[in-house]
Amino acid sequence: MIYRFLNNIDRVLTVERVDAHCDIPCGIYDPIIAQIAALTVVRMIDLMTDLDNKGGDKNKEYINSMSRYVAIKEEHAEKAKAEVRVIWGDFLKAQHLEKYPNTHALVHQIMQLGSKTRQTADREIALQLVDAINQFAEIFWGAKNIPTKRALAPYAPHLELVYPVL
Amino acid sequence: MLHIYRIRGHSLEPEYQPGDFVIASKIPFFFHTPKTGEVVIFAHAEYGLLIKHIQSVDTTTKQLTVMGTHPYSVDSRQLGAIALHQIIGKVLWHIHPKR
Repeated sequence: MIYRFLNNIDRVLTVERVDAHCDIPCGIYDPIIAQIAALTVVRMIDLMTDLDNKGGDKNKEYINSMSRYVAIKEEHAEKAKAEVRVIWGDFLKAQHLEKYPNTHALVHQIMQLGSKTRQTADREIALQLVDAINQFAEIFWGAKNIPTKRALAPYAPHLELVYPVL
Repeated sequence: MLHIYRIRGHSLEPEYQPGDFVIASKIPFFFHTPKTGEVVIFAHAEYGLLIKHIQSVDTTTKQLTVMGTHPYSVDSRQLGAIALHQIIGKVLWHIHPKR
């Protein structure tokens, strides 16, 4: 009962948070999840375009396939944003931000692009999201003093991704 | 004198879980120095407001080390020694939903 009472108070007044900080999953950071999620967004837009170009009836099969593509696009755009937020908020420290002063602006750009890829089916915006997350990946690996390279992803849509050179 | 906080994170699981409330106060430390095993709230320059178990207390240097109960908790290896003046309060009451 007391818990429920405090829970209601928290909803109205927002009780101050205290962190029982834990390294699960914070000990394992890798921007590749966000990069692949962004790539998936482009892939879904491509599949939506292909389906549309086939023509024919907009029957239940069409609606079913298109709905699935949109749902996956939504999910992965949000996943890309979430993964970037975690690295930005939990991994990157003051010294990293000093070294890469553009980080905050870049993360904000990624959040905006991620939202736009949900709102639209614009491939150009999705490509911008991939590019921005690649730049973020370069910052992440740079913060760990690990060199990077750019290579084409070995799966459709075969876009360039930033990879660590381990 | 009494402060209420809501827990984020998993480092004190299974006893303290995310979403639980704790009520903490500094008053007990007016009467005794923090002891090993007590759960305290403290301010950390890098990690912000944290809740941890006290692992050890060095009364000479007025510093203590802390730990979580979860095996992957961020502990004193990452946090460093905590100065007594960083302690904001001792957890007096733990309020959680039925488990």
